[in-house]
Amino acid sequence: MSSDYRMRFMPRTVRRPAAVTRAASGISRAALLSLVLLWCLIDVAAQQQGVQQFDQAETGARSPRNANYEIDVALDHAARRLSGRETIRWRNISANAATDLQFHLYWNAWRDAESTWLRERRLAGAYRPPRPDAWASMDVARLRVRGGATARDGDPGVAESDWIDLTAQMRFIAPDDGNAADRSVMATRLPFAVAPNEEVEIEVEWTAKVPRPFARTGYVGDYYFIAHWFPKLGVLEDAGWNTHQFHAATEFYADYGVYDVRITVPQGFVVGASGRQTERTDDDAGQTRYRFRGDDIHDFAWTASPRFVEARQTFRHATLPAVEMRLLLQPEHAGQAQRHFDAAAAALRYYGEWFGPYPYDHLTIVDPAFQSGSGGMEYPTLFTAGTRWIAPSRVSQPERVTIHEAGHQFWYGVVGTNEFEHAWMDEGINSYVEARVSSEARVPSYLAARFFGGFIPWVFPDIPLTRLHDEGRFGYREQAESDVPATDTYRYWPGTHVAISYGKTALWMHTLERHLGWPVLQRILSTYFDRWKFRHPRPADFFAVVNEVAGGDLGWFLDEAYRSSNVFDYGVQSFTSTRVRLTPGDGGQPDPAAEGYRTVVVVQRLGEAMFPVEVVTTFRDGQRASERWDGRDRRVIYTYERPSEALSVEVDPERVLVLDVRTTNNSATLAPRAGDASLKWTLTWLVWLQELLLTYAFFV
Amino acid sequence: MSAPAMVFGVYALTVAAAVPFAVVLRGDIEAHLGRSLVAHTVADGVSYDWWQEFLTQASGIGSTFTPAIVGFASTLDHLSGVLDAQGEAVPIAGLVAVYLVTWTFVSGGILDRYARRRATGAYGFFGAAGACFWRLLRLGLVAALVYALLFAYVHRWLLDDAYDRLTRDLTAERLVFAWRVALYALFGALLVAVNVVFDYAKIRLVVEDRRSALGALRAALAFVTRHTDRVLALYAANALLFVLLIAGWAAAAPGAGRAGWTMWVAFAGAQLYVLARLVVKLQFMASQTALFQASLAHAGYTAAPPPAWPESPAAEAIR
Repeated sequence: MSSDYRMRFMPRTVRRPAAVTRAASGISRAALLSLVLLWCLIDVAAQQQGVQQFDQAETGARSPRNANYEIDVALDHAARRLSGRETIRWRNISANAATDLQFHLYWNAWRDAESTWLRERRLAGAYRPPRPDAWASMDVARLRVRGGATARDGDPGVAESDWIDLTAQMRFIAPDDGNAADRSVMATRLPFAVAPNEEVEIEVEWTAKVPRPFARTGYVGDYYFIAHWFPKLGVLEDAGWNTHQFHAATEFYADYGVYDVRITVPQGFVVGASGRQTERTDDDAGQTRYRFRGDDIHDFAWTASPRFVEARQTFRHATLPAVEMRLLLQPEHAGQAQRHFDAAAAALRYYGEWFGPYPYDHLTIVDPAFQSGSGGMEYPTLFTAGTRWIAPSRVSQPERVTIHEAGHQFWYGVVGTNEFEHAWMDEGINSYVEARVSSEARVPSYLAARFFGGFIPWVFPDIPLTRLHDEGRFGYREQAESDVPATDTYRYWPGTHVAISYGKTALWMHTLERHLGWPVLQRILSTYFDRWKFRHPRPADFFAVVNEVAGGDLGWFLDEAYRSSNVFDYGVQSFTSTRVRLTPGDGGQPDPAAEGYRTVVVVQRLGEAMFPVEVVTTFRDGQRASERWDGRDRRVIYTYERPSEALSVEVDPERVLVLDVRTTNNSATLAPRAGDASLKWTLTWLVWLQELLLTYAFFV
Repeated sequence: MSAPAMVFGVYALTVAAAVPFAVVLRGDIEAHLGRSLVAHTVADGVSYDWWQEFLTQASGIGSTFTPAIVGFASTLDHLSGVLDAQGEAVPIAGLVAVYLVTWTFVSGGILDRYARRRATGAYGFFGAAGACFWRLLRLGLVAALVYALLFAYVHRWLLDDAYDRLTRDLTAERLVFAWRVALYALFGALLVAVNVVFDYAKIRLVVEDRRSALGALRAALAFVTRHTDRVLALYAANALLFVLLIAGWAAAAPGAGRAGWTMWVAFAGAQLYVLARLVVKLQFMASQTALFQASLAHAGYTAAPPPAWPESPAAEAIR
């Protein structure tokens, strides 16, 4: 490549907001003074500096809008193929010049059994090999690039001949595991460097085979859910490209931009998509072209089916902006429309009141087709819920999944965390909030089991489910030590991600709520939300807000909950209350009549993790002795000499530490009822066993 | 119900088989609760959090202590388990095997009693049970093989392979469910067909005093083929009785309840249900025996003489 060539195709500098360009200009005397002042504020600034130096919102926009996609895609229903062409206007908002480009080709993760996604999936258990017709592929037919920003500036100086074809230079890379068979990340060298704040245009033509469902993507019958479906740029951070391979347990990460997408489908198909529909035209060839535009979003998904039943409602609130909710339901769930709307409205209300308003005026809720495997997934301004044909009103499906995915519009959609590395930052925080919203909104939630192939539900009216269940306490308890949350999520052992990213995070957030109080935690989350909306925060950024708003260093807790796999487990080791002659006080004479009880309580830390807990002993006369234990020693002994016999002792009676993996051992009583309890449940189980025997007696 | 002693005998057998396991489970639950205050909640209702904690550390019998044991869910759990070919925990599977062998033993006595249509006494009952045991066991092994083939191959072919093929492009759950019900019905029909043939094979072994299990099986097949309408009508009538009983239990089954006297009332109600299930089971055997006798011979016909309890050699020595 000649220097002349380089000059000709040098990317053009894009005008930046004044504050930014001033900072980059030459140093004058006044500027020196400004720099001194700036130095004083550097600590605060450092806390708010993201992974990209120039991630400020573009003028008049909510986000930096540095990755803008114009896509034209057509669905060939008969062949189950997509053919598309996209033009990406990408601005380098990192601190360093870019010399290459990296793209996600997510669907190649299902190209064959040797991809990293499939290899990991096999390790996660319950693996069924895909059928021969299930595989997907994504093949880039042409990739070209040109410097400058004609579309942006209307500069006619850059002509068609300025495009540089890079198709021959495309190569697959595997930055995470070196798997040469993995084709989910494509890279190409640029013929020129793209300096910070400079922009390039990239044009990609590709075709793709739509899979049978993998990871919420694919088709079943005439239902399509099309996600992570286009060649998509990674995120260029100050530290370099962050373009992970597609992993079985992790999700996505992308820059914000404007998506202008034209989707052509057979006539009769209803299409739902991220953004808002702006056009719809039918042609004579039996095709319908939809056009959607989404501003300040970092991904784009769509769905198509001729069977959708469409409903709309508007979310209204005294202090929050109105949101038009569009619901695309399966016909057999038509009677459940209001349950979906109510749940989505609850999310928009509580998340909006607690953290900040939903920034878009539209939201699309997709009720996925049965067997599509596309339920319960979030995409910007669109999400999939999930319900069943028989959905008892006392069971929180579809409510919880709807609240959860609607909540992701805030924790994922607006706060753009890196889901490859820190899935807990959206899944965990969102699981915690979702459980809180479900509780506040009084969503009925009872345990239900499903029988006969999972089709017939049976609700247990005796077993209401609590927030702790919604937060995944059971799953966490089973896998509490499986991974350290601070580990990059894509490096978790396959199968443990849910227990750790969702469950453990929700539980430690809940513990923080009980420790600090909801008002403080709500301020933490709203501050974090406001500071990091439309940006890419890292864990340290969240923790900085936690410490800042809580007014103290909570590192001691985060070291246990986030930076280790230690478990919390406090318990009562021994508890006695025996009749004694009470010891006289200072200078007192023994009173032969002063008899009472010596109560000895030994509490124990059984886990490695530490947390301050309260120890409360209750006496027969109704008095209570409360001790604050810092929770550090392995054991602590409390001795009481009182006129009254003790009845019971409890460690952490208010259940502040919801991370405690065993709460049965948290208490002891001198009037135990384990005999009653075990007898009752054994009789119940005995009947179950008798019925089992009688059922098998059919065979003799 | 004409043989109440036999009804209570098989009930006692069912209780006796289950109680030792229940004692073990009770020990596990009691040990886990210890002196915890959580036991109060568990005694007076349900602590699902405790339940999950218990299950996390449970194994063997303890792992079967799930919410599916509560009320009518228990019935659904078992019926669903059979139709979906779900396995059982190893200790439970062992118990089931022992229970079925024991049933095989008592079946001889039961069928003999129903065939003779009069009380045979304990000697007569156990004499017939002993005399028929090995031939019934041989037949039971053949039945086990056939059922194993049904569940291992036919079930997999119908409710996994065919079901997947038939439903993989369906997007409506109710259509998928309709296919599943149809396949359940098909598999159920096969189960019933096999069950009917083996039922009459047992009857022919006992009533006709046959020695050959395979011969009895062949004869039963011939009988069922020749009297298909009546055999199926009787089976359907008995099955309807079973369905009515299950429906009644669905309405009456108690929930988790509280420890104390109400617990005993609920348990007594459940035992009545267990007893009723056994009555239905015995009703199947009695009515099929009667149908067989009425079709091929006459009421009360048996080929073998009334079994006599053999004199003990020790008694002879005394004489």
